[in-house]
Order: sequence, then C-alpha cells, then structure tokens
Amino acid sequence: MKILLTGGSANGKSTYAEQLATSFAPPLYYLATMRPYGEESAARIERHKGMRAEKGFETVECDTGIGSFKPKKAATVLLECLCNLTANEMFDDEGKADEAAEGRILEGIGALEARCANLIVVTNDVGGGVNEQYNEGTRLYVETLGRLNAALAARFDVVCELVCGIPLVLKGKGLL
Amino acid sequence: MILVIGGAASGKHAYVQGLGYTEAQMWDASSIADGRVEPLWGADPAEGFPVLLNLHALVFADPEGAPQFYEALLAKEVITCDEVGAGVIPATRTERDAREATGRLCNRLAAAAESVVRMSAGIPVVIKGK
Repeated sequence: MKILLTGGSANGKSTYAEQLATSFAPPLYYLATMRPYGEESAARIERHKGMRAEKGFETVECDTGIGSFKPKKAATVLLECLCNLTANEMFDDEGKADEAAEGRILEGIGALEARCANLIVVTNDVGGGVNEQYNEGTRLYVETLGRLNAALAARFDVVCELVCGIPLVLKGKGLL
Repeated sequence: MILVIGGAASGKHAYVQGLGYTEAQMWDASSIADGRVEPLWGADPAEGFPVLLNLHALVFADPEGAPQFYEALLAKEVITCDEVGAGVIPATRTERDAREATGRLCNRLAAAAESVVRMSAGIPVVIKGK
C-alpha cells in the first residue's frame, strides 16, 4: 500500500505516519531526509528519533538519491519528508535551484515503490499564502513540491490530510 | 469544548455567533497584539469568558507560556484558532517556534475536544464529533 500524508506544520503528520507504519509487518525502515543545520534542526531530529524509539524502525539517513536505497523484501518504508528531500535535491550550497530535481525525485520514489511492500510518504502543504512574496528559488520550490504532491497523490492508494492531529482521508477511504 | 479552526477570515467568528454566543461572552486574544487588552496571565487567560477567539494570537504572544493554559482552555466552551502551519516555513526562529507551538497545542486540544470544526470559505466542515 502506498500512502501520502500531507498537511501544514505541527499537525501530527509524524505521529500518524509512525502509527500507520507500525500497523504493517516488519521490517520497518525510516528514511530520514533532514540535514542537521544548526541546533534547531538537530533538536528536531532528536525529537523525532525519540518518538521512534522502541517502535522497531531502522533509521536510514538519506538526504538525496533515495532511489539507491534497497530495503529488505516485503518492507514498510516511511519517508520523512518529501519537503526536505525536495529542498536537498533542488538547491546546492549557494542556493541555486536545479530544475531537473523534480524528475530525479519522482524516479527515486518510483524505484522505492517497486522495492517495498508499503510506502508512506510524509509531505507538507506549502502552497497556501501569497507565493509571489518569495524569491524565485522559493517560488520554484513551492511549485515543484506542489506538483510532486499531486503526482504522488494520483498514483498512491491513500491520501490523507492531517488537521489538528485528525486524519482527513482524501483518497482511498476504505483501504485504511 | 468545540475547537473551530481555519485560515484567517474564513468565517470562524461568524460561526461562533451562529452558535448563539454574544460578543460579551467572547475574549479575543488578537487584542493582545493590538495592545487593546492585557491577557489575564493567571490560571485562565480569559477568565469569565466561555469563548476564546484567536488562540494563535495568545500563543504568538508567549509561545512557551501559552501551552500551560491547556487545562483552562479545555474548560472553555468554544475556542477559535487560525491554522498557521500552512505555507513556507517562516524565516525567523520566533515565528517558527510560535507556529509549532500553536499546532502542537491545537493537536492536544483537538484530541480532547467534543467537536472540531474547520472553516473553509465560511462553510463549517465538522472533522470531529457531530
């Protein structure tokens, strides 16, 4: 089963994703995409690690090129999150955007889909608000992530939006 | 407690009026930012009022302190809060922290609420309860 979880920040996406992942049989992999930039993201990584402790996840750090990850057979993979992966694939150290990133990400996720039994992808809904207020790179990022979300939602079995910790099932209601 | 969430100007206030509450029963946290009222920083930031409007403004005024009002907030009849987690991650640490704190507090309140209503273009969408 392929599941996409979206929603704004701090709406309980991680908690729900782990709850869904652990409802499947092991092995469970957690594909961590966040690069630790400074103390704030280090703290966030620690918090997420703590939440996963004792839940049976093997954590695999994978900030780019997720298509090269080869899980064991019949695995459940939780990818968190598409928003970081997109930023990592798109921007170099100088913040220059690479438009080919979108194709690479879709290919990588496609490869993962073919290799695991269950894939849960956590993303973020960043398209709200006035996009014109941002610089060109950020606008491109918002548009890329929006297109990626739509592409995955179209082919995944289940799509949920998390609101205040409540999963609103947008697609595949009967499958959960 | 009924938690009413939604974007800015999505019809939350009008929805609360529609439930039968008068303005005199509503304490508006956005008046903190305007400098019109001081929050009652006691056990209950809105003592004597069954309705608290714009919870996010209370959290943005004090991201660390506001979550401590959790118990008092549970005793309210209605709380409204903007959904502040959408859009691109803010550039400043203060805004990021306030946004996270608002979301996390809403998650806890929603879990305990009898009902959660999300306003979308003035239309109430009940996402928990009836």
